Amino acid sequence: MDLSDRIAAFRATLEEWLRGLYHGLVTHPAYEKIENEAEDAEDAFLLACFPDAFGIPSPVSYYTAELLPYLSTEFEQWERRMWDRQSLLERKGQQYHF
Amino acid sequence: MRTFVFFGGKGGVGKTTVSSAYAHRCAEAGLETLVVSTDPAHSTADVFDQAFGDDPRPVEGYDSLSAMEIDPDEEVTRHLMDIKRAMGDQVSPGIVNEIDRQIELAHQTPGAHEAALFDRFIDVMRDADEYDRVVFDTSPTGGTLRLLSLPEYLGGWIDRLLEKRAQSVDLFEKAAIGNREPRRSMVGDPIVARLQERKANFEFAGETLREDAAFFLVVNPDELSIRETRRAVGSLEEYGLTVSGLVANRLTPEPEPHEEGRGARFLRNRCATERERLETVRETFDQPLAGVIETRVAEVKGDFLADVAADLDIDVTAPDPRTGGPRS
Repeated sequence: MDLSDRIAAFRATLEEWLRGLYHGLVTHPAYEKIENEAEDAEDAFLLACFPDAFGIPSPVSYYTAELLPYLSTEFEQWERRMWDRQSLLERKGQQYHF
Repeated sequence: MRTFVFFGGKGGVGKTTVSSAYAHRCAEAGLETLVVSTDPAHSTADVFDQAFGDDPRPVEGYDSLSAMEIDPDEEVTRHLMDIKRAMGDQVSPGIVNEIDRQIELAHQTPGAHEAALFDRFIDVMRDADEYDRVVFDTSPTGGTLRLLSLPEYLGGWIDRLLEKRAQSVDLFEKAAIGNREPRRSMVGDPIVARLQERKANFEFAGETLREDAAFFLVVNPDELSIRETRRAVGSLEEYGLTVSGLVANRLTPEPEPHEEGRGARFLRNRCATERERLETVRETFDQPLAGVIETRVAEVKGDFLADVAADLDIDVTAPDPRTGGPRS
């Protein structure tokens, strides 16, 4: 292995490490935040669709019921989350890396 | 011109009689006519002395008249079964029970009946191509008004849901920048497709009701009925629907002038009061009186129907909602 190859290998490793570092420090938390936000938006959507699961009558629950076959997994998780959630702060707090 | 004609009014004013009579007139004039009863307490069957079901059935003794009675219960059950069938295809058995409960719940909410009725309404309006005229015998004022206000109201709701869904899908897509697969995608999202289909349905209903339908209110010559009619006209106009005319029903027949006696005097007095009220209706409503029908001795059915139909002054050929009555 001559010198130029070793330099190239070193640079490749360094690049991978740097990319990893950047991903871990900057991009990953950012994606996570967006994803959490997306989950929150989905929670809001599900609550708007099925408020009657919590005893709030909805004028369109008859229509939104037809969405359930496509939302089954989300619905179950959502329902559990909504019942279990202690406070909004707890969930929101998770989004930030203090 | 294709037209849907609605007859509404307070309970017991004779909506079924008037709408059946009108349908009779249309059918006699050679129009392919369908009478649709949306009142949960159906009475078209009594007028035509024949049982009707959830699908249009030809009325005996007529060439071009059919009738149907919408049964919302049946529609609710059908809807429930459809969803459960879709669930069987989509969902793993483990979760089914959990979600089953929610679906059952949704079909027991107070709105379910109305929604089901409304769905059937839309179906009837969509499949009305083979009829020249569809006559709706509606449930008493309150229920019908709510039903007719649904397109706008529900349309707004679905809009908000769509917006929310779009927002969350958009965020999921953003979270997956790079070469990761997004958890949800706007393209081919079954939820968005469903909601949009519903929305299109509501828009179709709203448009048809505004542009291709005429509304008549049946009124009795008494204070209560007139007041309720006034409110109904107001609410209908609020929803952007124009009432084309009023039909006065249950007028007391006048005794012969030479008759004297308690019965005759009573009738004469009663007639005077009614004439006064009719005058009020003529003067204070923007809508024309499209028919004045006297009380018959017996139930209106069979031959009586032709008799009553003759009293109706609703144009059979083209009750155009735009020319049928003055717009206010």
